[in-house]
Amino acid sequence: MDYLTLALPTGRTSKQAIALLEKSGIVFPDFQNNSRKLVMYDETNSIKLILVKTADLLTYVEKGAADIGIIGKDTIMEMQPDVYELVDLDLGKCDVVVAGFPDTVISKDVPLTVATKYPMITKAFFDEKGLRTDIIKLNGSIELAPLIGLSDVIVDIVETGTTLKENGLVVLDTIVAISTRLIVNKASFATKTSKVEGFIQRVKGILEGSQ
Amino acid sequence: MYTDYMMNPKDVKDYEKYERTIKTIQKRFKTYGYQRVKTSTFESYDLYSQVGGAINQKEMIKVIARSGEVLVLRPDGTIPITKQVAENNEGVKTETRYFYIQDIFRQSALSEESIETTQAGIECFAEGTPETDAEVIALAIHTLRDLGFSDIKIEMGHAGFFQALIQKVQFTSTELDQLKNLVKAKNIVELQPFLESFTIDEALKKAIGQIPMLYGNPVDVIQQARPIAITPALNKTLDYLLEVYEILELYGVGNNVVVDLGLINQMGYYSDVIFQGFVEKFGKPVLMGGRYDQLGEKFGATLPAIGFACEIESLIQALGSSVVSTKPLIEIIIIYDANKLEDSINLANELRERHYRVLTCPFEKSLENKQESLYEIKLGHEQLFEYRRSVQSFSSIHELLKLIDGAKGGV
Repeated sequence: MDYLTLALPTGRTSKQAIALLEKSGIVFPDFQNNSRKLVMYDETNSIKLILVKTADLLTYVEKGAADIGIIGKDTIMEMQPDVYELVDLDLGKCDVVVAGFPDTVISKDVPLTVATKYPMITKAFFDEKGLRTDIIKLNGSIELAPLIGLSDVIVDIVETGTTLKENGLVVLDTIVAISTRLIVNKASFATKTSKVEGFIQRVKGILEGSQ
Repeated sequence: MYTDYMMNPKDVKDYEKYERTIKTIQKRFKTYGYQRVKTSTFESYDLYSQVGGAINQKEMIKVIARSGEVLVLRPDGTIPITKQVAENNEGVKTETRYFYIQDIFRQSALSEESIETTQAGIECFAEGTPETDAEVIALAIHTLRDLGFSDIKIEMGHAGFFQALIQKVQFTSTELDQLKNLVKAKNIVELQPFLESFTIDEALKKAIGQIPMLYGNPVDVIQQARPIAITPALNKTLDYLLEVYEILELYGVGNNVVVDLGLINQMGYYSDVIFQGFVEKFGKPVLMGGRYDQLGEKFGATLPAIGFACEIESLIQALGSSVVSTKPLIEIIIIYDANKLEDSINLANELRERHYRVLTCPFEKSLENKQESLYEIKLGHEQLFEYRRSVQSFSSIHELLKLIDGAKGGV
């Protein structure tokens, strides 16, 4: 049997996405059982689910190891993969923002030091504004950087703003609003068109129903 | 004793696949009347700056000649061939068909990708007619079939269609890049709001917004596209694509073709029909091509042409294990006693004339120098032929050939 392979990032996105898929009748029993398996199956719909790290997901889809992936727009913007981006799942809504101390002065005279998980998004944003930057790539706890003087500001995703507030930081500028997207490998779209489109129609059906 | 110095067996096997793949492709290209050409490994850097929008200058490998001129290692096949044809055949109306199989050099930002790849491609210098374009696409499909792929999809689009639609809108180059990226990603979600931010005629806005989803069965898609073909020229483009498709059906490859009006190729020089090919279980296109009627003008000639290229390494990867050879490398090994050197050389010559793969080895070395072979011949005071442990003696080359034939029959 030829399976359609769906890649989900481990963590919160996968739970939300699986809940959404369930409504359209796509069910992975192993996931409900809190299994630690990395590959699971929905035998009735012949869909194979793989759980991968967020940072690796685009690689899986771009190389065709997975036909379909579900991932945040932030990662897509950062990595610029050559894939189809077909559906906004309306999950995981948040903003990519510039944050720092309330009294931060941003001037064109001195380069701004920015700590971020998203160097590409950061560079594109400040380049367009004509501001010079020194970008420091971090992998987590970005808020720490301005607190200990590693950077002037940070660029990060913010959902509620609680972490920022607790650390005395404020949003200085919003770069873009993001959400979770459904992406498809271009070769899968060409060689498994009806299967991929069937899957997308089911997901879209649920999204439209819930609105 | 030489085992410590062996090439990685995988590399040896890969080379066999590589050779076989090239042979298959070459055979097929020739059956459509293409002639093989080769271009210089070193090209002038200026040649590539002259043709803007073709190859990212950062990806080219530059070297400096003794004269101080900057050269690049051949980053593509199409541009040098077009240049040569343009310079040599000015004004000639005869169609010309060339193919090449040569290494190209590009260094992408991703360091893990190989700089050197082998590209096989064709360039057909002929006027743009549905017949010619269909023939080239049919050749692409035929070649992929020869290689053993079963699930072949060619996406066919038209560079001029999108271009004509956006012509009336004043986009800056950044905006145009954004728009192209949204169309390429079929990102309808963001395409609509993006278009809303411009003051564009409603009909045009709707047309551009629909382009990414105009994908699928050619007849259906072309019909769906009719309402957005808001000028006679756009309608003509659709007619043309339909005609190409109808001819492809005559070639018996209609099932392998879909139309994708949202297809935008990186190569800036494509002017009309463009296409890319996908095969089962491989995440990237294995073949890309299109018509480039204006490229010749950069070199002062009117030179309509269409072509495509594929990367041998990708094809081999996509084929997976299905092209592994089972033939042993050496068919016959001749082990001879010290005084039989002359006989062994004569025998080897006779057998090699008959296209057997033969090694000779003196007896005293044969214990150390172990080679795998199908048959073994021993030349001593007796002449023995050994196959699967059954040993028979022979007295002449004719008897030997009979024994080999007999053994073959027993395989």
